[in-house]
Amino acid sequence: MGRRQRPHDPHAPVSIRRSIDRTFAALADPYRRRTIELLGQRPRRAGELAETLKLPAPAMSRHLRALKQSGLVEETHPDFDARVRIYALKDGAMADLKRWLADTERMWSDQLAAFKAHVEKKPK
Amino acid sequence: MSAVIVSLRVKATPQRAFAVFTQEISAWWRPNGLFQLTPRGDGVLRFEGGEGGRLVTALPSGKEFEIGRITTWIPAERLAFTWRQATFAADQITQVEVRFEPIGDETRVTVEHRGWDAIPQDHAARHGFPLGVFQLRQAEHWRALLNAMSTRV
Repeated sequence: MGRRQRPHDPHAPVSIRRSIDRTFAALADPYRRRTIELLGQRPRRAGELAETLKLPAPAMSRHLRALKQSGLVEETHPDFDARVRIYALKDGAMADLKRWLADTERMWSDQLAAFKAHVEKKPK
Repeated sequence: MSAVIVSLRVKATPQRAFAVFTQEISAWWRPNGLFQLTPRGDGVLRFEGGEGGRLVTALPSGKEFEIGRITTWIPAERLAFTWRQATFAADQITQVEVRFEPIGDETRVTVEHRGWDAIPQDHAARHGFPLGVFQLRQAEHWRALLNAMSTRV
């Protein structure tokens, strides 16, 4: 299971496939998923995130670095103080996730309709 | 954090709905799902082994692709299995649960497809369950993937 599989969607450009990889990899950790949820509500300082998640500062920094590298989160600071780091979700960060949700919903709608047609057509 | 829920009613008992869903999946599955494994469709799907078993598909080449492992198998009630997204370069594992509920002499069939937020290692760690072999492999896989990600420029 350690072998990487080649992407099977011949129509998705390589850059999109890689970004979906990064999104899923970034979200594979429960602390990072919770961080995304919190930032989805509003931008927050690193300290606030660490406190809410009960993580020591170095661990929180590591997770935030991973989220920045994955392109999901960006770091800014308020005009009045460059030392204060504020983290926010990047626009379009969740676009891949939303696409996955839409594709998956469409797939199961189609498949359940096919199942229904099949189970109802047999005599009995 | 992410779930897809699709539901409909079928004119069949839960027993028959479950049996047909699992035993006849090769017949009813539409070959244009998310797999796109081959130009001609998703291969021939089958459930094998009940709980602890797997959902596999036999490709025209003769190879088999394991779509997922069966985690719950309660005839006429609930079926649950993991689901591997073959369209992505990384082996991303998600969870599918199919519920069969009687409504009169019909059955409501509900498919819930949860994303990575249902990865079992988190739940297991919190509740002290021993991690099964599959879950350990999954945990290793994610650690390896993340290590690879962090060393990539």
